[in-house]
Amino acid sequence: MLRVSSELEGEKVNLRSVTEGSQVQSGVPFQDELIRFAEVALGDNEAEISEARQQLRDKMGDEAVVDAASVIANFQRMVRIADGAGIPLDTPMAVVTAPMRAELGLDSYGASSNTPALSMLQKILGRIINPFLPVLFKQITRRMSSTEQAAPD
Amino acid sequence: MAFSVISDPSLVRGDIQRAFEDIWQTIAKPGNWWRGADRIAIAAESRNAGSCALCAERKNAISPYSVKGDHRTISNLPPVAVDAVHRITTDVSRLTKSWLGECEDAGLSDGQYVELLGIVVAVISIDGFYRAMGYPLEPLPDPIEGAPSGYRPKAKDQGSWVATVSPADLSAEEADLYGGAPQVGNVIAALSLVPDSVRMLTRLSGVQYLEIQDVPNAASNGGRAISRRQMELLAGRVSSLSDCFY
Repeated sequence: MLRVSSELEGEKVNLRSVTEGSQVQSGVPFQDELIRFAEVALGDNEAEISEARQQLRDKMGDEAVVDAASVIANFQRMVRIADGAGIPLDTPMAVVTAPMRAELGLDSYGASSNTPALSMLQKILGRIINPFLPVLFKQITRRMSSTEQAAPD
Repeated sequence: MAFSVISDPSLVRGDIQRAFEDIWQTIAKPGNWWRGADRIAIAAESRNAGSCALCAERKNAISPYSVKGDHRTISNLPPVAVDAVHRITTDVSRLTKSWLGECEDAGLSDGQYVELLGIVVAVISIDGFYRAMGYPLEPLPDPIEGAPSGYRPKAKDQGSWVATVSPADLSAEEADLYGGAPQVGNVIAALSLVPDSVRMLTRLSGVQYLEIQDVPNAASNGGRAISRRQMELLAGRVSSLSDCFY
């Protein structure tokens, strides 16, 4: 979704910022402050959290701090649901994200064993579809947006 | 029930506060498999896990299963439940299906496990928000008396470690569970063996991230003060730091 949401804004993104943090320039505005806040918020050093929160506040304002804190907390929950329930990746997602997972080294994560290995055909399909993924999501987004606009209040 | 320790209610959106209050009320009630007092004990035990020496030792071990010992516990929960709460809280990415099988052998049913998991993750995400904002943690609510319902929906093996309910199998009691969607992601269905756990998940995600129907719309940021790509960068970084494959 990072890749697709970036392309929808007409921007490119370096996904390695997800796995490597601020060492990599993602192209996302205020990435250093956001990543720093996320990294320290997972720990328990209150001074570091306070400092990172203030740095983000200085750049993006109070409301952004609240929304960033919310997203960080949300995914502390989601990762535990996924790993605690041992869920496999949804098959369509497993197919289309296979090249990206390989590139980022995500297949080395322990929980990857919860997802059955892809067949050769699925791997080939994933490579074929991958370049068109943003286009696909753009169409989904357009369709969803037009449905929302057409919906009565 | 007012959330008293949010220091600046004008800063924290009202929908976040209302959702947190709802979750606290849900946790306090008897569930499907645990009494209200047990559910509050699970929440308290999750908060306590961070100061458990055994958990710290396991976290640093090459294999967490090679380290034996007793948890630092503050509850009367069965040891197998305490172990599950602590491991989910402190080292969830190294849980295994065989470990969960051992939990079941030790008397923790799949329904009890899923309910426990749903409580732990709800508390972690509310506490996580408080920590990030620099607020002292909200006191846990008082438990509500009553017996667990023992309700088990029509769940089946769909590839997760625990049985889940597919949209086609939803009964009238849980017709609201997936918002009427004909298909649902595995992470949403993961806790469906205990329907209120899914309701807590969607309630919290709706205020902390996006409403479930907005998630596939990559142009939507739900009206937040950060862009969708900024949200996804945070989501991705947290997932990566947590070694989450999903």
